[in-house]
Amino acid sequence: MSFLRAFKYKRKDSLMHRLDPRSKFLLSIILMSFSVVFLNAYILLAILIFQIVLLGLSKTLREWVYSLRGLIFFFAIIFITQMLFSGSLFTGFVLSLRLIVLSSSMSWFFLSSTPEDIGRAMSAARIPMELTFSFIMAIRFIPVIYDEFQSIYDAQRSRGLELEKGGFRTKIRNLMPILIPLLVGTIRRTYEIADAMEVRAFGASPKRTSYKPLKFRRGDYFLCLASAILALIIVYLKLFLGLE
Amino acid sequence: MVEIVVENLFFKYPEAENYVLKNINLIIKEGESIAILGENGAGKTTLAKNLNGLLKPTQGSVKIDGVDTRNLSVAKIARKIGFVCHNPDHQFFAETVEEEIRFGLRNFGFPENEAERSIREVLKTFGLEDYRFRNPFQLSGGEKKRLAIASIMVWNPELLILDEPTIGMDYAQRLNIQRVLKKLVSEGRSIVVITHDVDFAASLCERAIILSKGEVIGDGCLRKLLSDSEVIEKASLKKPFLIELEEELGFSIMEEDFDEICDFLTRVFPKCHS
Repeated sequence: MSFLRAFKYKRKDSLMHRLDPRSKFLLSIILMSFSVVFLNAYILLAILIFQIVLLGLSKTLREWVYSLRGLIFFFAIIFITQMLFSGSLFTGFVLSLRLIVLSSSMSWFFLSSTPEDIGRAMSAARIPMELTFSFIMAIRFIPVIYDEFQSIYDAQRSRGLELEKGGFRTKIRNLMPILIPLLVGTIRRTYEIADAMEVRAFGASPKRTSYKPLKFRRGDYFLCLASAILALIIVYLKLFLGLE
Repeated sequence: MVEIVVENLFFKYPEAENYVLKNINLIIKEGESIAILGENGAGKTTLAKNLNGLLKPTQGSVKIDGVDTRNLSVAKIARKIGFVCHNPDHQFFAETVEEEIRFGLRNFGFPENEAERSIREVLKTFGLEDYRFRNPFQLSGGEKKRLAIASIMVWNPELLILDEPTIGMDYAQRLNIQRVLKKLVSEGRSIVVITHDVDFAASLCERAIILSKGEVIGDGCLRKLLSDSEVIEKASLKKPFLIELEEELGFSIMEEDFDEICDFLTRVFPKCHS
């Protein structure tokens, strides 16, 4: 579950943190597109290096590296299935790289943008308030669920539960003592939050105001320009050079 | 019987920059009843999780019967050291109270007939016989707490660590838990209680370990430490009612008499709760 940390906002004083979430989101989508469109190791490596620079500029490299540890399990599955079905280690490597680039694109965005800023950006895009709010709550819930998972896991380990032991079926069965309390706790909290929102007049006024309106700065225009150039590169590499 | 030796323990969480525990040195011996006290964020739960191997030291060591916790699995430690987490809802998943209690016994591979006997005994000890086939999620707060302790006590660990056992409980529920734990202490069971409730700690424990900002600022006789205004202030605690009463009266009260005095005061002054 530590990969969820990659999507938890980290308060830092960095250039990237000060930028508008809309420009960061645009760049994230473009970077993500690279991993969806191409399966070329050189292109994916180049994008990964670019992402590492972005993460460095947002001072969140450490959190990103920590979150990658949680993806090791998925990398292992990709490697093993590729080895079994295609007999190629290289394909396994490229697919793992694709997964890293894909998750890192959004990771950089979420690590450097507050849920409030994301909400403001969604409101500015005229997305209904209920949807915006649900999305922000979902983002906020990620670290809460992670912490709760850890507490439940600790409680069950203290009662002798060993997730590492046994075959596949035993491992799945052993997850039940963790998943059931997690699910019950999450549903309960959902009701509590709904009540807390209602008693504070959520939805009473259809039009909401913002005390901190979003504003594009020079850095945001630069990021949009970089996104446009990268989008053109995708088109050029795919349509004109025919790279896969 | 179990003995825990903590030497130069430093701990910090993987993604954190600061140490939560700094240079902790302790020995926990057989039959001791210990309260770990301190302000919010002092590192009490982190220390407890280091004692039962859920967390491993960043520096220094925690040894259980001479073996470093780094070389022991949590399950192996749990067999000797039971840990009751502060929120019972974090551990319930079974459909009945009985199945919830049976969970630990299954993990440790107890034979069915022995498990059945242990379950019956623990249900009786914790007054849960009538709830045997009830859903754990439908119990009251106090009952849930008793079930959480029962589901650990069922395999008879040598040391019991309880994280905030009285949190969110009313007076009657608190008294109930207090009586159950007092009985365990009187039977010679080692107990470590993490709490903010100094009155509860004073009624149950002889030794106190007081933490402040990740460091031990006091370790010794609970009554003595909780009479020290400097320690009390540093750890954001308050003097237990028993000690305040002693100071007002100007003489010592035997611990055995304390419950009687509290009952008397509650009768005379119904709003007075220790």
